[in-house]
Amino acid sequence: MEKNKKIFNVKDLCLYFQTKRGPVQAVDQVSFSLVCGRTIVFVGESGCGKTSLARAILRLLPRNVHTYSGKVFLNSINIMALKEEVFRKEIRWVKAAMVPQAAMNALNPVIKVEEQIAEPLLVHDLVQTKDEAHKRVVEACRLVGLPLDFLGRYPFELSGGMRQRAAIAMALAAKPDLVVLDEPTSALDLLTQANIMNVLKRIKKETGITFILITHDIGTSSELADDAAVMYAGQIVEKSDAAHFFTEPLHPYAEKLMASVPTLREDKELDFIPGQPPSLLNPPSGCRFADRCHKRFDKCVYEPPFLEVKKNHWVKCWLYE
Amino acid sequence: MAAELPSGPKIPQRPAAKRENPALDNLLRFGKYFITRVISLSITLVIAVYLTVLVANMGGAVDQIREGQIRERIGLMALADPEIMRMPVEDRRAMEEELVRLEMSRYGLDRPFIVRSFGYLTRAMTLNLGRAEYLTSDSGSNQVKLIILERLPTTLLLMMSSFLLIFFISLYFALYLSRHYGSFMDRAVIALAPVSSGPAWFYGIFLIMFFAAVIGIMPFGGMVKAPPPTQWFRYALSVLHHMTLPVIAVFCSSLFIAVYSRRTFFLIYSTEDYVEMAKAKGLSPRAIERRYILRPTLPPIITQFALALIGQWQGAYILETVFNWPGLGLVMLEAINMYDTPVIVANSVIFGYLLAFTVFILDIIYAIIDPRVKVGSEEGRL
Repeated sequence: MEKNKKIFNVKDLCLYFQTKRGPVQAVDQVSFSLVCGRTIVFVGESGCGKTSLARAILRLLPRNVHTYSGKVFLNSINIMALKEEVFRKEIRWVKAAMVPQAAMNALNPVIKVEEQIAEPLLVHDLVQTKDEAHKRVVEACRLVGLPLDFLGRYPFELSGGMRQRAAIAMALAAKPDLVVLDEPTSALDLLTQANIMNVLKRIKKETGITFILITHDIGTSSELADDAAVMYAGQIVEKSDAAHFFTEPLHPYAEKLMASVPTLREDKELDFIPGQPPSLLNPPSGCRFADRCHKRFDKCVYEPPFLEVKKNHWVKCWLYE
Repeated sequence: MAAELPSGPKIPQRPAAKRENPALDNLLRFGKYFITRVISLSITLVIAVYLTVLVANMGGAVDQIREGQIRERIGLMALADPEIMRMPVEDRRAMEEELVRLEMSRYGLDRPFIVRSFGYLTRAMTLNLGRAEYLTSDSGSNQVKLIILERLPTTLLLMMSSFLLIFFISLYFALYLSRHYGSFMDRAVIALAPVSSGPAWFYGIFLIMFFAAVIGIMPFGGMVKAPPPTQWFRYALSVLHHMTLPVIAVFCSSLFIAVYSRRTFFLIYSTEDYVEMAKAKGLSPRAIERRYILRPTLPPIITQFALALIGQWQGAYILETVFNWPGLGLVMLEAINMYDTPVIVANSVIFGYLLAFTVFILDIIYAIIDPRVKVGSEEGRL
């Protein structure tokens, strides 16, 4: 893997779900690109399509898919165009792995931890023998700080934090190019969260892996992120590098979002955004945030363009036209 | 380990002594579990058999009936004996009383019922089942044990073969449907599920009417044609021929509902996070099904299996009667018709043993397939 080579590119990704009352536009025309070795964090409220984006990238679709279109380039191959079987054999876990939301339940309750971590290695012929697999598993466990005597146990004998580590170890053991972390710490207490975030930071430094971090916990995510993107109602409304994003967000929604994060030193009143995100069943035409926006003006009834306001800082808002 | 890495988080290590010999540990725990199960099942069985003894003797009221029977018999005997008839009335009365007393003590009826009931219990538990009053086995013996042993295999043959067929067919069919959720086949099975509200004997009557009476390609009943063929494979073929209709009847009454319930079950379990993960890991659909859907759901499936098996035992009575199948159910019905108490009690005891045995096997299988049970109560908390 060379540095500064664009390895991951998403173009016009759409994922709509079929419901009785019509299609739900969970991911709508999402495009972004990511340089190898960097970490992008997606933030947003619950129900804004973050997890659906993760699923769309990894092709983990539920039964009620209405539309699934767009292009996803990984190492300049359009993986969306691959047949299911090819995708399974060549992309899943070998190139792109994930740590799921609620990783607490991500482990099969009746299979020992080691077997579960080693399983994808053996399935994809990444190792030839069980001994080699064991070595890789041990390596991955050291990386995430999972004591080795936990390997011979069943998942229910592990605490939540340890199960989370096991899930991360499972993703790392196959040495994929890309790991999607879908709220990897939201079910854990603050100390364990910090611990896991440190583990992830260290892994990022040591392995040069590419992370896509999906979270609603902005405070913790700033630890890990190189780039940041804000999702609102199925769309990306702002994208920039983390340094700029966390200090001076441009989109009114992002502004409000950052203002809602508690900080220790400043004496500020926590802000909130009135109202609810719009229904993705029938999203409003024009700017989807307009109804709740404190800076709305006449133009907001039209769909805003995605503008590059500063270098690498994109905003989907009429204010910056 | 993590602690060796400079930036690694500190993880407290477990005291090593606790897991010094995990294999022996596991074996001991398993043995303990085993023995507890045997003891608790034995207690259940003893209580069940004792209740059967109490019910069959109407809590001792049967003693009065038997005393009446003895008095009647002795009275008749006295009437038929000219020598007794010639005695003076007082002497005759005394003689009759004496004979009744002798008979009563011969049957052990002079001791209180509660004391005797424990004797009955011991005999029932040790399968010392006594003699039938009217029924005999096909080989002519009136030993209850022989009557039952003769009929047990035929019941097992019919019930187990239909049961196992349904179990495995419904399992794989349900897996198939859960993969093809919402397909035509799926909806057809759901639509047909109410068919299972009819019991097997109900379908049996129609099957006999159609295939035996109208078309005439199937026998009306029985287990083998008369006279039985002498070559073993012809005999087997004939048994198979006779089994077909009852098995189909059982199929009609339980296949669709079994498939329907399992399919729903698999659908629920296939949305578990770990199944999603297995898909993300790039496992083949077959491997996902085997290791991530079937394997974790095996304990509840085994439970269903055992409960359904027990249900089948109870459903055997009428089905065997309809098809004139010479099994335990048919014997039970004959015994009830003829008030043959020893056979009825023995039948209940045998069923009791079968149930206890089934539950015991189930417990062992459970402990083997589910690590959460195997580890036992001390550590197995979530």
